[in-house]
Amino acid sequence: MSKDIALGKQNKDLKWVGRAVKRIDGPDKVTGEQKYMTDYHYDNMVWGRVLRSEYPHARIKSIDTSKAKDLEGVVCVLTYEDIPGFNGFGVVTPDQPVLAENVVRYMGDAVALVGAESDEIAEEALGLIEVDYEPLEAVTDPEKAMVEGAPQLHPDGNLHSEAVIQNGDVEEGFEEADFIFENTFYSPRQMHAFIETEGGWGIEEEDGLLTIQCPSQHGHRDKMQIARALALNPERIRVYSSPNGGGFGGKDEITVQIYLALLAINTGGRPVKLHLSREESVQAGLKRHPFKVTAKTGAKKDGTIVAHKVRAVADTGAYASLGGAVVALGVEHAAGPYYIPNIDLQGYCVYTNNGIASAFRGFGVNQVSVAIETHIDMLAEKANLCPIEIRKKNAYRQNEKSSLGNIVKSSVGTIETLEAAEQTDLWINRESYKADVKEPWKKRGVAIATSHHSVGMGIGTPDYGASSIELLEDGRFKVGLAIEEIGTGNGTVYAQVAAECLNCDIDDVIVIQGDTGETLDSGTISASRASYTGGRAIATAAPNMTQLLSEQAAELLNVDASQIVVGERKLHIYGDEAQSVTYKQIYDHLISQGKSTRVEGHFYFPREKEIKNSEGAPHYLYGYMTHVVMVEVDTLTGQTDVLKVIGIPDCGKVLNPQGLEGQVEGGAVMGIGYTLYEDVVMKDGYYETKSFTDYIIPTIRETPDIKTIAVESDESSGPFGAKGIAEVVMIPIISAIKAAINDAVGVRVKKLPATPERIHKLILEKEESRRLASGS
Amino acid sequence: MVSPRDTQECLQLLNDNIDSDVRFLAGGTDAVVRMKDNMWRPKLWINLKDVEELRYIEEKDDYIHIGPMTTYTDMVNSPLIQEKAPVLAQTSKEVGAIQLQNMGTIGGNIGTASPAGDTIPTLFILDAHIQLTSVKGSRLVSVEEYFIGPGRTVKEDDEIITEIIVNKQKENEIAIFEKLGPRKAQSISIVNCAVLLEMGEGNKECLGGRVAFGSVGPTIIRAKKCEQMLKMGPLDEHKIEDVADAAWKEVMPISDVRASAKYRRKMASSLLKRGLLRLMEGWDAR
Repeated sequence: MSKDIALGKQNKDLKWVGRAVKRIDGPDKVTGEQKYMTDYHYDNMVWGRVLRSEYPHARIKSIDTSKAKDLEGVVCVLTYEDIPGFNGFGVVTPDQPVLAENVVRYMGDAVALVGAESDEIAEEALGLIEVDYEPLEAVTDPEKAMVEGAPQLHPDGNLHSEAVIQNGDVEEGFEEADFIFENTFYSPRQMHAFIETEGGWGIEEEDGLLTIQCPSQHGHRDKMQIARALALNPERIRVYSSPNGGGFGGKDEITVQIYLALLAINTGGRPVKLHLSREESVQAGLKRHPFKVTAKTGAKKDGTIVAHKVRAVADTGAYASLGGAVVALGVEHAAGPYYIPNIDLQGYCVYTNNGIASAFRGFGVNQVSVAIETHIDMLAEKANLCPIEIRKKNAYRQNEKSSLGNIVKSSVGTIETLEAAEQTDLWINRESYKADVKEPWKKRGVAIATSHHSVGMGIGTPDYGASSIELLEDGRFKVGLAIEEIGTGNGTVYAQVAAECLNCDIDDVIVIQGDTGETLDSGTISASRASYTGGRAIATAAPNMTQLLSEQAAELLNVDASQIVVGERKLHIYGDEAQSVTYKQIYDHLISQGKSTRVEGHFYFPREKEIKNSEGAPHYLYGYMTHVVMVEVDTLTGQTDVLKVIGIPDCGKVLNPQGLEGQVEGGAVMGIGYTLYEDVVMKDGYYETKSFTDYIIPTIRETPDIKTIAVESDESSGPFGAKGIAEVVMIPIISAIKAAINDAVGVRVKKLPATPERIHKLILEKEESRRLASGS
Repeated sequence: MVSPRDTQECLQLLNDNIDSDVRFLAGGTDAVVRMKDNMWRPKLWINLKDVEELRYIEEKDDYIHIGPMTTYTDMVNSPLIQEKAPVLAQTSKEVGAIQLQNMGTIGGNIGTASPAGDTIPTLFILDAHIQLTSVKGSRLVSVEEYFIGPGRTVKEDDEIITEIIVNKQKENEIAIFEKLGPRKAQSISIVNCAVLLEMGEGNKECLGGRVAFGSVGPTIIRAKKCEQMLKMGPLDEHKIEDVADAAWKEVMPISDVRASAKYRRKMASSLLKRGLLRLMEGWDAR
């Protein structure tokens, strides 16, 4: 079997890949049989609880745990003094204390841990821990945080990181422009709102092995972070991290794993459970970065964009986590999927005493794409050009330069997605759709937007895939791939790729994910990378398995390995199917000779040459997407309904159409939530939004008709030609809804979410200025 | 928690624990949330779920009588309410979402006495009366006199709500409930409004009506000025505009995390306007 299979050259006659194969975890999920980590139960358990900060910013003068320790039923009370190793964690910069020592920097800071015989006793014990705080001035506005004299939250100041990409001469660009657009956009603090809050189990086994069962987006990395805090040999820690009840980036960082580990080594071997309530998850959990994006765009009358300048300021909250990377990715994508000759893109990641912001589906791109897309729409209006035409005119193609100055070598589907949008019934007949309103105070609008999103980690971060394939006694294959199942269905894609490459039935493939004891580290489930990376890893391992099988079959059949053909559940001699051996026979043969039945496959993600000061740009690979949406605005109230969404992704070859639809629909609903409803409101460092009572996520009644039209550009580096899609599916819809609101009622929202109150205010302001202009 | 089986047992329990800290649990859709928030943690919960005799909808003496343990779903599905007080069925359908409608009760909505309670404006326009009962006897209170502030009512500690009596809509009475929430399902009203119009023989002739707003004051507000204006000439678009414009003077909203007072004030007008336009369109097309 040649390497070509992995590289998308043999797309004909595929049996599993590209087909709507049912989710391998589907039956368990729909029947409720699926066990998530917190669904497990162990006898003789201990309940864990976390004491959180009472202030957004305060000095800790003392912590007295004696009363809590004296409470009957309390097993242990732990503070920073009980941490055997390094008191800190964080994927990139480990600046977040496991347990606060001298200072708390946000309302979610953990100060102490309690282990007790019951959850109620643990809760009572939290109330008995006496922490003497000296409240300090809270820094809650990132712009003010950067001003000299602001209280410094970390030794290196409040500016955590910056990323800058410049190309051409942006001022010259503005000089040659016919039109210039300049606006500032604000984005909300979106919450992942996964159905499964952070939680799990920690168990110290009799032999000292530490087992952590906790949903996560990178169990192998959790293992290293736990080991660092506990001063343990990482090889003595086993992390089970799959399946997740949703992640979206919110479980990319350590959540409660280290608390579980600390409690587990202090309970004399009793299993410890900890499971955050929704309220505690809101208080302590990660969020999306609120951005302030000031953008200036210059364009010619014919629609050519000649200059784009962006200054993005991101509120990363109390600790770094992945904030620096989020801002860098935002900067990399700030000019959109276009070639703009003159750019000046700057991003600043700033510490405040607000809740921590980190990874979240889109990773900084959602916030910045709104600026370029809105300016293109304003250009369309001003220059009287079609918004699709302008985008097509400025979009870069494969093997052309992007705004960053590099040649994009991987596949680029922007123009194809725009052409598909142009051909949709909704776009062609938009005027008649818009006219079809039932009540005169309702106005409809139809609009499009397009965006891109990188696939993979980018330069400077390890990015690798690794898979094992083991032949089992019953002739089936066990595929080990650490990348967790977080609801996206990547496990099903792995089974499809394995069945395709091994020429076997999908039921003969068992996929093991998220178990550090049984799988090789293959990086995170994030960065839209799971299908591509995992697919490539399996497609690299599979030929090794085929070779192993063929060699053994050749030995058993007494022919040269080149004469062996892989058939259905057996291998036979070329041209003579009767001369065959089963997988079971091969297994027995291997075992009898004391040989391994397991092979591995490793690969590294392709990379580009880094742009100076960009903190990781450009990426080798991007997914592209166009959305067409129709909204209806009630002008009496300002309430907006999204009625229709058409998602047009270019994710390369579609590995599983049903899985892709799932992503497109989920992304659309999450994008609707981001644009119209969701925001964790904070005031002076305190949460005003405390639970799902006031955190408004779309329900089925806010879910419109969503259609998926896939544009399959052939990506030669991908598994069977695939790229990645998980994040871009929620990006253009944000700008498309904004533009459709403008099409409906003539107002441009600059602060999200576009709540009824905000839209209504803009409508009134517009009417007022029209009245003033007409002099009446 | 105790779970009495009938009203008498319930009253006795209440009387026996009169000096203690007692709360009722009806559908639990508010109570459980407040319990989780550490707001409601009484010494004793009296669970009314098993008091089946307080769950009924019947027509008697020209009125509709509703037991307080009647759920929103019961009201949505009741042929009697659909036919004789359709606005109450429509309102019940707008409360929360299906799951909440299956659990929540009309008595609970009245007992919680939230200024944002969705059924209350509708009870105002249907001139509802609430029967309160203690071991000593029963009394009937008009819905307008019942609420005295957020979470505060005239109900005494030894009383329970035993019945809600509402008017039937006459043939020439049309009514509507309008709600604005942060989203369509599972949302607490930013503003809500119920309107009932008594129509005359003439073109768009309105003989009078009732208008009640929720979520724009400490209790539900009856908009008397707007009501007066309803009968001043044909209820055409121009007139509707005038009536709606007057609404902002009648409400006293506050700002909170869901909306500003200014917006709520404007929305009182908008919802009244939308309700009147919808009612008149339906009336004209009858």
